[in-house]
Amino acid sequence: MEPDRLVQSQPTVLERVVAFVDERVGLKTLQAKMLNEPVPGGSRWAYIFGSCLLFIFVLQAVTGVLLMFYYVPSVDHAYASTQYIIHEVDYGWFILSYHFWGSSVMVVMVFAHMSQVFLWGAYKSPRELVWLVGLVLFGIVMAFGFTGYLLPWDQRSYWATIVGVEIIDKTPLIGDFMARFLKGGPTAGQMTLNRFFLIHVMVLPAALMALAGLHIFLFRKAGPAGPFHGGVEELKAKTDYFFPRQVWKDIVAVSVVFVSICGLAFIEPVVLLEEATPDPGDYHPEPEWYFLFMFQLLRLKIFGGELGQFLGSVAIPGAFMLLLAALPFIDRSPERNIFKRPIALVSWVVVVLGIVLFTVSAVINREFLD
Amino acid sequence: MQPTLKSTVKCTDREVGEITRIIVDPLSLEVSHIVVGDGTGGQERQVPMSEVQQIVGHVVHLRIPSSEMGRFPVLNRDEYVTTHEVEIAHLEERLHVEPGEVLVPIPDLERNIKRRTFFTNLTHAIGILLGLPLIYPVMKYLMKPMYLPYDNRWIKVGNVNRIKVEDTGVQFKFRKKVKEAFMPEVEILKNVWLLKATPEVLDEVYKGKDMQFRDSQGSLIWTNNRAFPYVAYSGKCPHLGCGYKWRKVRKLPREIFLCPCHISIYDVSGKVLDGPAPRPLDPVPIRVSDNGDVEIIDVEFKAGVRDRIRIL
Repeated sequence: MEPDRLVQSQPTVLERVVAFVDERVGLKTLQAKMLNEPVPGGSRWAYIFGSCLLFIFVLQAVTGVLLMFYYVPSVDHAYASTQYIIHEVDYGWFILSYHFWGSSVMVVMVFAHMSQVFLWGAYKSPRELVWLVGLVLFGIVMAFGFTGYLLPWDQRSYWATIVGVEIIDKTPLIGDFMARFLKGGPTAGQMTLNRFFLIHVMVLPAALMALAGLHIFLFRKAGPAGPFHGGVEELKAKTDYFFPRQVWKDIVAVSVVFVSICGLAFIEPVVLLEEATPDPGDYHPEPEWYFLFMFQLLRLKIFGGELGQFLGSVAIPGAFMLLLAALPFIDRSPERNIFKRPIALVSWVVVVLGIVLFTVSAVINREFLD
Repeated sequence: MQPTLKSTVKCTDREVGEITRIIVDPLSLEVSHIVVGDGTGGQERQVPMSEVQQIVGHVVHLRIPSSEMGRFPVLNRDEYVTTHEVEIAHLEERLHVEPGEVLVPIPDLERNIKRRTFFTNLTHAIGILLGLPLIYPVMKYLMKPMYLPYDNRWIKVGNVNRIKVEDTGVQFKFRKKVKEAFMPEVEILKNVWLLKATPEVLDEVYKGKDMQFRDSQGSLIWTNNRAFPYVAYSGKCPHLGCGYKWRKVRKLPREIFLCPCHISIYDVSGKVLDGPAPRPLDPVPIRVSDNGDVEIIDVEFKAGVRDRIRIL
């Protein structure tokens, strides 16, 4: 027991450093503020998705920076430098595949996060702005996927971009300008790669960091919504702080996410197709899986022709996003229990089934094409 | 009315001390207890708000005699944290427990409100004046490569002796030299679909009219004669710009052009048979020399619209 008493009476160098910094920065207050957030009704597995997204983003940023050590964003070197990362650089295949699968898992997590907030009615007053900023973040994550897809400059990435930009082109009035702006010309080439690279590694990360910061700030300002049932006394009895129980659940979830992404990277590492060129050869263009439902939707005859295409590629997705944005202002009832909100529940099920149905039929269609 | 710190606490019979702390319910954000100290720094007891009868200024009246004070629990400070150490939304707006405002004087030079407003507006005006003139050069900077003159070069793509059967799509791949901005000139692989068309198919392609091609200024660069038997279709699908194929599919009697992206189907004359395409395949300028060498101009039209709007 002697040494212990000694430590207590005379602070160690480390403790003195901590005290020095704390006095100037207010670290302990900051830490207390970060961790001591009461979670009404207590921690839950349903609340893990936000933390998972933050974690995935951080690792996407880290692996993205690592990839840029070798990647060259030019049409004569992008493909070769990506192949070099995959085949020559030690563990390059893993870093690239992690980054690739990380983006897919991020889309899944965004979907889960939005579903949780929707089903729990957590977008309702006073959390409207948290929801709105979240929708913009959703757009940013999709834009990350779209711009990053082009960078390896193989046939898969080239054709997904060609079609994607043509879809943007269908926006009335500004579509032609936006498509040319993204392509940096009338057709895809060096300027397109430059612009997509810049958007992917500078514009979107800055936007995501700023808006994710705002998202969390607004969330903290409004406070967590808590479960949708249970009386005041019951909630009070179960309330705990964000740390340690919720943090523990989040860490378990984050670990599962990390191991899953690593597993996917090991089992299905990224393999490039031929280098990009305006002749597709035998390749059947297809977007990344999370855009497949949209791809299949545009195959429908009713979304053909000039008007149909506008409906399918701009009007319907645009209207859907606007509806989501307007949701907290339309749905003003304070009722949060999903089982007492039949329209919300049915809509969610219909949207999910629709996406699954269209994705599956896109996959089935592959057989027809071969 | 909320109790304030340092208020005197009176029981029905006598004064028992003052409020030393206030305890707040973190869910309802209401004051749940007052902590009453005896003024000597001794024991502090937690009294629930339900025992408060009324608050008159800085005096809190309890509904019980002082003899019953002993039944309230003594405050155990370790069971609580201060509001500065937790993150509870909207707490500050709901509670007014500070013992009063803490003030510092505004410096003399800063007391003129009008001048402050003027400088705020001036700052905004300067910002706008600095920013506005930048919009034009920045936009021009970003738009530099967006609108390029059309490329009207004739490109040799092969020889017609490859075409053995009439009204059948034959793909001609070709390498096109491209010089983009600062990049060295490179060759990119593209393709066109050629066919030797029978008069009926030609009629369907050209609808009895010669097809004219113009440059960006509108002057004529080439005319495809409606009777000329060789037709070249741009390799770009008019739906959303993928590459299509000439192939046989089940259910259809003869071969067709099929785009694997969104399954647009065209017959040999380029007419849309099925799928979402808004217009027929796009013929491009074609000429064939005496020895059968085929040259085309690699014209591209905007995909996804009914009219042919040239972009390249």
